[in-house]
Amino acid sequence: MASLRTTSRLFAARPMFRPATFARSYATVDTNSSEQPKMKTFKIYRWNPDQPSEKPQMQSYDLDLNKTGPMMLDALIRIKNELDPTLTFRRSCREGICGSCAMNIDGVNTLACLCRIPTETSQESRIYPLPHTYVVKDLVPDLTHFYKQYKSIKPYLQRDTPSPDGLEYRQSPEDRKKLDGLYECILCACCSTSCPSYWWNSEEYLGPAILLQSYRWLADSRDEKTAERKQALDNSMSVYRCHTILNCTRTCPKGLNPGRAIAEVKKMLAT
Amino acid sequence: MFSQKVAQQSLRRLAVQQPAAMRWSMMRASPVAVALGKNVQTRPVTSSPNTEDPTQILAKQRLNRPVAPHLAIYKPQIGWVASSLHRITGVALSGSLYLWATAYLVSPALGWHLESASMVAAFGALPLVAKVLLKATMALPFTFHCMNGVRHLMWDLGRGLTNPTIIKSGWTVVGLSVASALTLAFI
Amino acid sequence: MAMFARSSLLRQSLATRSPLLQRNVGVSQMVAFHASARKQILPPLPQEIKGTPDYPRIVNDPAPIPESHPSEGSYHWSFERLVCLGLVPLTLAPFAAGSLNPVMDAVLCSLIVAHSHIGFQAAIIDYFRPQRVPKFSSFLHWLLRGFTLTTAVGLYEFETNDVGLTEGLRRIWKA
Repeated sequence: MASLRTTSRLFAARPMFRPATFARSYATVDTNSSEQPKMKTFKIYRWNPDQPSEKPQMQSYDLDLNKTGPMMLDALIRIKNELDPTLTFRRSCREGICGSCAMNIDGVNTLACLCRIPTETSQESRIYPLPHTYVVKDLVPDLTHFYKQYKSIKPYLQRDTPSPDGLEYRQSPEDRKKLDGLYECILCACCSTSCPSYWWNSEEYLGPAILLQSYRWLADSRDEKTAERKQALDNSMSVYRCHTILNCTRTCPKGLNPGRAIAEVKKMLAT
Repeated sequence: MFSQKVAQQSLRRLAVQQPAAMRWSMMRASPVAVALGKNVQTRPVTSSPNTEDPTQILAKQRLNRPVAPHLAIYKPQIGWVASSLHRITGVALSGSLYLWATAYLVSPALGWHLESASMVAAFGALPLVAKVLLKATMALPFTFHCMNGVRHLMWDLGRGLTNPTIIKSGWTVVGLSVASALTLAFI
Repeated sequence: MAMFARSSLLRQSLATRSPLLQRNVGVSQMVAFHASARKQILPPLPQEIKGTPDYPRIVNDPAPIPESHPSEGSYHWSFERLVCLGLVPLTLAPFAAGSLNPVMDAVLCSLIVAHSHIGFQAAIIDYFRPQRVPKFSSFLHWLLRGFTLTTAVGLYEFETNDVGLTEGLRRIWKA
């Protein structure tokens, strides 16, 4: 808190820089200089599209954890601010609601903003982009196909009959409850890119995230196109490449259960 | 207001430092120049129209993109490791059955002896250690695949699909399959 | 405060001598990525975003939906689960009874062949996509069909001319 106050006083003197640098100050923490530095190594996947012939590399950075915020995103922001401005990654909300900073940290897909930096300094942390995605640059994956697949399941309410009172489509509390654990998905693609089946067959297999969204609309009591939705999934690729590996459920940074949603989709399709 | 001030300041500075440039820029775009027909529109070289289709630039860039590492860097967890073992053991068991059954079918033509009697005799002739080892290597994939298969069937019914249960049932299957395979190896 | 001042100073110095970035504090050596040297696991094709035939370059169109095939989809899945369910008692029974009678043995064998065929098929579909290796993929599918046939006939021969699967295994185990 002290650091915040001092920095804001600093900004007050130079209002010109306020918008650009205000958010950055959170990543850096001011502490007593008497403390022993806690240096930790971060190894980060680097690839630059401007040098396409060069192979991807792991670059290591050392940070003092005493001066870094608690989350992985803080570390990344601090590296970008203070060590290497060329490091590229996506981030926005820093509170796990936008899904931008999804990446593979220490072998597990998660959101950098929700992932604490392990305090064990003897072990280095390895940061990769989401597994088996095409890399745009450094930690930025291309999710075009993921979004195209999302669009293909028609993620919106489809119905022909108007509501009885002409005002709104009503739902019983029980029916509404079926959507809990589904509507919270932020489409960060952590689960889909943790799924080996999706690694091998992302062209046609929809993957856990999109199937969870599919189930969200299949389970919605207000939607009237359930039969069409089910028919669109009824082929060998869309759903049935899922072999219940359940990496999706294990990795979801929002604590949702795509594996259960897919099991429900399979049960719905079977009956 | 602030930006106006900055613009004014920089204009003034420009006028002081490079009077020629100032005059030139005034003449180029000033309403007077336009009215007199004296304005010459020039385009800096850097913004000349690019004939290449911009969507193709991205398409070409995509072809160069590497694929992020996956299997080699993903943390080994009981869920996906057990699942891949399930497939490996399944392929190994069914593969050996396929090979043996096909070999049995063609054995009369090739003069091989794969009837039960000769196989029993051949196996019986092995030393005890080899017997136990062979039995264990046959039994472990079988017990693991069967028990994990039951776990998969439970999941298909929608049961046991929470993180703690998945981990617990995974290790239970590993423990039970190893124990039962050892039991089978020694009977 | 001190940290902030230092960091902004650092940034300034970085801006002036960016080529020397490598030598800066904290940023240590670049290491060639360890997995890229090895052979890639099931390497995918280079990325290509396909649009619709009318708008081939539009990336915002929905991904095409595969044609509906219940016989490859839900019916296939249900059949597979039924085979698995049937296999559970039939694999347990021999351990209790020693071996099975010929009819049950035949049922077990046919279920195992069906289960194996479906399992192999799933593996081929998973790892050898026609988009990536079209000829090899269809070769594997035909190879599988051939082997399933020879296996079924071979097991039939073993059931009719020999002692049967469970009894044979029991004898070997007791040998």
